[in-house]
Amino acid sequence: MSYYDIDAILTDAEKVPCKFELDVPELGYLDNNPAQPLKSGTTIGLPLWLAELLALANRVPSTADEDAKSFVSLNLPPALSNEVMSALKADPRAVPLRDQSHNFYGLGTRMLDLFEEKEICAVLRRTFVTRAADIALHAGKAGATDDMGVGAGEEFLRGLEEWERKLFKKAHDGAKGTKEWMEGVKKH
Amino acid sequence: MDIDDILREVDPASQSIPAETRDLQALTRAWVAERSSPELLRWPADGLFERVNDRIKQQIERVEEMTGDMDPKTNFALIVIQTELERFKYLVRSYLRARIAKIDQHTLHYLSSPDMRARLSETEQAYATRHQALLHNHYLSSFLSAFPPALQNLNDSAGNISMIDTPDTDTAVFIRLLKDSLVEGRGTDGDGIMDGKNGDIIILRWSDAKPLVDSGRAEVI
Amino acid sequence: MALPLPSGLVPAEVAFLCEMEMITIVPRQRLESIPMLSGNTPALRPPRRADLPLWLALLLKKQRRANIVPPPWLLPASLQEIIHIETNVDPQAFSPPPPPPMRSDGRGIARPYAVTTTTTTSSGRGGGGYGNANGRDEDPNTKELILAPPFLPSCTQDAPSGYLPYHWLEIAETLLAHAADDIPNAPEVRALLRDLQEVRAAKMRGSTQHLEGGGGVLNLRGVGAMELAESRGFVLGVVDGVRKLGASIEASRREEELERGDDGGDESDDDMEL
Repeated sequence: MSYYDIDAILTDAEKVPCKFELDVPELGYLDNNPAQPLKSGTTIGLPLWLAELLALANRVPSTADEDAKSFVSLNLPPALSNEVMSALKADPRAVPLRDQSHNFYGLGTRMLDLFEEKEICAVLRRTFVTRAADIALHAGKAGATDDMGVGAGEEFLRGLEEWERKLFKKAHDGAKGTKEWMEGVKKH
Repeated sequence: MDIDDILREVDPASQSIPAETRDLQALTRAWVAERSSPELLRWPADGLFERVNDRIKQQIERVEEMTGDMDPKTNFALIVIQTELERFKYLVRSYLRARIAKIDQHTLHYLSSPDMRARLSETEQAYATRHQALLHNHYLSSFLSAFPPALQNLNDSAGNISMIDTPDTDTAVFIRLLKDSLVEGRGTDGDGIMDGKNGDIIILRWSDAKPLVDSGRAEVI
Repeated sequence: MALPLPSGLVPAEVAFLCEMEMITIVPRQRLESIPMLSGNTPALRPPRRADLPLWLALLLKKQRRANIVPPPWLLPASLQEIIHIETNVDPQAFSPPPPPPMRSDGRGIARPYAVTTTTTTSSGRGGGGYGNANGRDEDPNTKELILAPPFLPSCTQDAPSGYLPYHWLEIAETLLAHAADDIPNAPEVRALLRDLQEVRAAKMRGSTQHLEGGGGVLNLRGVGAMELAESRGFVLGVVDGVRKLGASIEASRREEELERGDDGGDESDDDMEL
């Protein structure tokens, strides 16, 4: 990850479900309950940068025989839930990834850094490669027709998350550059 | 004269490939490599660019002489010479611009260690240093000086992430093997190894390709 | 911005590169040798054939000073043979590139197109040149320069038929656009080229479908420069994406291998962070 990468910064802001491991006074408003302390066991969506910090930091044990515990325990975000993974396993093309998260794969890699989930890693890679083939086809068509494929293409673009949009642009630029050269060679 | 020079002069293989072709091949290869690799490559140490630039200057002088004498017979030769001159200038310009683009993108990285600095030509080092100084002064006068002192650095590495951006040397590249070579590339589920043949065109990580390219066994394409 | 182009040559740059390929011409007028930066051109004496870089050959052609001899691989029979190889002999891979051209070294031994330049850094090396007979490759003072496209004679009249050289598509399109009258049966050549392009484009698309394991090396032997320029951003984007998605799995695999004492990968984990 690089310091000034906008996509990485936006991925950092994605909300991840966190279960609080202790009562926190005066944070009840996070759970729509401002009069009460935030109860241990409550699950709240926190931005990834904060969630990671709280999950990895250890708090001082309150008694000598208690193990060091973290403030919150992390869970996988809905975008990487079992339901989404099953849907992707069934047909990677049928899921509009952008509706899950604008930075679906970016979020995926961040979560895979924190959780050793070989299964999710395999599903994400297969999904990426399978959908990439579709992206190449659409981008090739769009590159050959000059517009970015208005109409059916627009609908297709809408379902793509950020990595995929970048991939689409690369494939499109390649097709367009070749077409322009092929047409230009006849002229001079 | 060294014995190697004598041997070379009597070696028909190097005689039949003229020095001009060799320099053009080297220049073209350097240009393609610089355009296609994710990090700045070493400035050629053998004086290739100094040599090419000198010859471009000489050719420009020749063009001026030829333009003076208006013999229509030399007219076509002049067109040919000028066309070729423009092609050479394009190669040199594009090469230099590709390098400056990389230096601009990761200035602090390339200035950060003697090893990295050694990749830049003298002119490029001067450019990078001045450019960074100008930029830093501009940042200071327009906003940085309003920050608390602890936040004014441009090279912090707090929070596990360095402010000095570096190129991703694991980015994939295309190379062509120039000799039969064993090619090893790191992969996700397993590492790849293949008995590469001269002419193979291979995708692998730049960090794995670099040793092959540096040793002249492969070229970036 | 110093250079507003993506990493890797774009199609227009590939076309520039291909114009350095040598091509055979038949001059229609005398032309004295011209002192160019890349060496003197041969003196042209009709009807003696000569090899020139494509850009110069086209200049002569446009001024009707020369005709172009199409490379043997661009003839209909050759293209048909290549299509047969592409579709029937090995439907997965690209047809093989031309064998590396060899030439005699004057002692009856064929040698590849390469030059060895020895840079003598210090005279103190004395007779160092003697011991190098078979160790040239390893000598740090010796730098061998091996020629590669567009500096190999793969588009002259002597080029082999039945093999597509690296710049095949650009050369073919350029010749069809500017020297169609020099190409026997140009309409058929044009049609065969379209077929070839289609067959090979499908192979290029297919090449990314086996990438999810992130194998480390992928050989695309035989691919052409323009095909590569068209798909480069996409293919490399897929490879990089798979690598990033698998980065944590790869790091833990390396840790395990290190613990088991495997000698599988000799790289450290230092550069695996992402």
